Amino acid sequence: MSVLSVRGLSIDYLTRRGPVHAVRDVSFELEKSETLAIIGESGSGKTTLAVGLIRLSPRGTKVAKGEILYTKNGMTNDIRKLDDDDLREYRWAECAMVFQAALNSFNPVITIWEQFLDTARAHGLNDRRRVHDRAAELLDLVHLDAGRVLPAFPHELSGGMKQRVLIALALMLEPQMVILDEPTTALDILTQRSIIDLLRQLRQRLGFSMIFISHDLSIAAELADRMITMYAGRVVEHARVADMFYRPRHPYSLGLLRAVPRVSGALGSVASIPGSPPDLVRLPKGCTYAARCPYAIDACREADPPLLPVDTPQHEAACIRWQHVAEVLGSDAEIPVAEKLA
Amino acid sequence: MTALIELDRVSRTFHTPGGPITAVDAVSLAFDAGEAMCLVGESGCGKTTTGRLLTGLLRPTSGRLLYEGKDVWRTKGADLARFRRAVQLVHQDPYASLNPTRTVFQTLSAPLFRHKKARTSRQALASVNELLQRVDLTPPENFVTKYPHQLSGGQRQRVAIARALTVDPKVIVADEAVSMVDVSIRISLLNLLLALGREFGVTIVLITHDLAVARYFAREGRIGVMYLGRVVELADTESLVGDPAHPYSAALIGAIPEADPDITRSKKRVDLRSAEIPSLLRLPAGCTFHPRCPLSEAGLCDLKIPELLPVPTDREVACHVAVRERTAEQAATMA
Ligand SMILES: Nc1ncnc2c1ncn2[C@@H]1O[C@H](COP(=O)(O)OP(=O)(O)OP(=O)(O)O)[C@@H](O)[C@H]1O
Ligand SMILES: Nc1ncnc2c1ncn2[C@@H]1O[C@H](COP(=O)(O)OP(=O)(O)OP(=O)(O)O)[C@@H](O)[C@H]1O
Ligand code: SF4
Ligand SMILES: [Mg+2]
Ligand SMILES: [Mg+2]
Repeated sequence: MSVLSVRGLSIDYLTRRGPVHAVRDVSFELEKSETLAIIGESGSGKTTLAVGLIRLSPRGTKVAKGEILYTKNGMTNDIRKLDDDDLREYRWAECAMVFQAALNSFNPVITIWEQFLDTARAHGLNDRRRVHDRAAELLDLVHLDAGRVLPAFPHELSGGMKQRVLIALALMLEPQMVILDEPTTALDILTQRSIIDLLRQLRQRLGFSMIFISHDLSIAAELADRMITMYAGRVVEHARVADMFYRPRHPYSLGLLRAVPRVSGALGSVASIPGSPPDLVRLPKGCTYAARCPYAIDACREADPPLLPVDTPQHEAACIRWQHVAEVLGSDAEIPVAEKLA
Repeated sequence: MTALIELDRVSRTFHTPGGPITAVDAVSLAFDAGEAMCLVGESGCGKTTTGRLLTGLLRPTSGRLLYEGKDVWRTKGADLARFRRAVQLVHQDPYASLNPTRTVFQTLSAPLFRHKKARTSRQALASVNELLQRVDLTPPENFVTKYPHQLSGGQRQRVAIARALTVDPKVIVADEAVSMVDVSIRISLLNLLLALGREFGVTIVLITHDLAVARYFAREGRIGVMYLGRVVELADTESLVGDPAHPYSAALIGAIPEADPDITRSKKRVDLRSAEIPSLLRLPAGCTFHPRCPLSEAGLCDLKIPELLPVPTDREVACHVAVRERTAEQAATMA
């Protein structure tokens, strides 16, 4: 059963040049206890989508259309229609978010303990002793020493410790869904590893659903059950993790996968994607990837291809040439694409 | 044969409010002409400081910087000017390194005039066009009048590389800032640097925190791994990533998530004894990695600083245990 069902969501930023179509007609489902990764290069609309899901978009943003349906105990609500009180409740108690670049979002002049207290108060928890017990329990869960961390100011903690505190804060009200935007970007390798392992453990223990956003494909390879590739605001491919990595059908997913070298195994044929994404104010006619796509034909520039099932009903791609991509890749074996193309 | 450029037991100490810190400690590294090499390590391990020492932008507290066998900090006049032209640092952060008020032409022509490579605007324009072509910004006419904000991150990066090329360098040190270039363009920038190295025999040292990028870039060369200001392992790239000898290199390689679900979910990991990176203000005695190291031996690792020593047959390692075991293995196979 799905916890979250997003249908036809489109989000624009209103600017002097005209509306920036940052998220275009995005649909997906998130199942209970499932992890969904959203990948795509910078500017593809990942953060806009995530922030839109909890209705925290900045001023000047317009949700042009779509539904965000949230289900709990058999009750379904459209997040877009919640009033302020219900929305506040939803943001923490149901769906918590850890923001991109949040490491700098701590208030620098108050201690970590006060950050916990503030968050708790905002939700009507005023019993200091209970908040303290809960904070200690959560910090323990993210492998931090509460005695040391609670009295500390943010600048006294390392990047990895701050990221753990943010995760602990997000879990305060036992949400059934957690959204993380670039949870490990800008962290060192060993710290990144500990955060990945932590997220895996927490998900197993607490059973929440998770959406995480990253331009780093390897984190998706580690944690995701399913993946979405976004390009110029649209979902261009949607697949189970193994299908995405070993049998991508959209040329953009293929391009992203080929652009990341590996440390283990064969290097294969690594290559960048030429060119840059289109202007989101004046989108080109037809497939928005056509200008960069090595497989484009004239028909690609006629109409934007819809997201349709490819190999299996669980695998969708928005490319009229997906069969050609399948031929280029050849074998369906569980081998990374850079090796298949070598 | 003498190396083209060499750090000879170079150290650099900074004075900070908390006390002195040695950001680079007795580092020796030698580079041949035309070599592509990578320095990797976690944030704060001294990569950028090493890059600045190598390019002569920072004076060593002790040790020597040698260029064509000569001690750079003792040379003067024409020799020093030649070194300054020959060795260039390129910041892999195009936002910080290009002047926002200058067009591409202004950015590239200034050093041409300064080094008397061009005397007239027409000569300068011809050279600028050629440089832009060398970094694949074509056709050049589309770029000469642009300001940095009118360029993408990747294009800015190419302009920064073109600027380093204005003086026909023999060595380029490229310092990649954490997570700034998009994955989709990163490889093409590395390819550009590699092609320049190959075509013009330029030595390229890439500084990165990303071991996968290091492996790709230095696939025919070497990787040096740094930890707390020291080089702990220096090896041919495939030997290093396939069979790391230093326990810290092994921990890094095991920890890296890979863009391949099967491989990354079944990787062999090294468990460290502690997650905490010691402060440069209070470095552990002996091997600075010993409080975290799974191989650490009491009475040895906590007392004696390991030197970077050659081990059979393909690398140098600064670890008492790894050197002992690899040397013993080698002796056993010989017997
Ligand atoms: N407040 C805003 N006003 C106008 N345009 C915006 C605003 N915020 C974002 N955009 C634009 O919307 C598009 C999508 O941005 P978004 O931040 O969602 O991308 P992203 O995929 O999260 O990128 P990154 O990987 O860099 O975080 C980009 O073209 C961006 O420039
Ligand atoms: N000018 C300076 N004054 C004082 N301390 C400095 C100075 N430059 C560097 N340091 C310190 O020296 C150490 C090494 O810094 P360096 O910039 O070389 O690391 P790095 O490996 O490049 O890190 P990163 O991956 O974050 O770029 C750090 O602790 C840093 O704070
Ligand atoms: S539809 Fe055409 S242009 Fe778009 S990705 Fe597919 S092949 Fe390329
Ligand atoms: Mg973002
Ligand atoms: Mg640095």
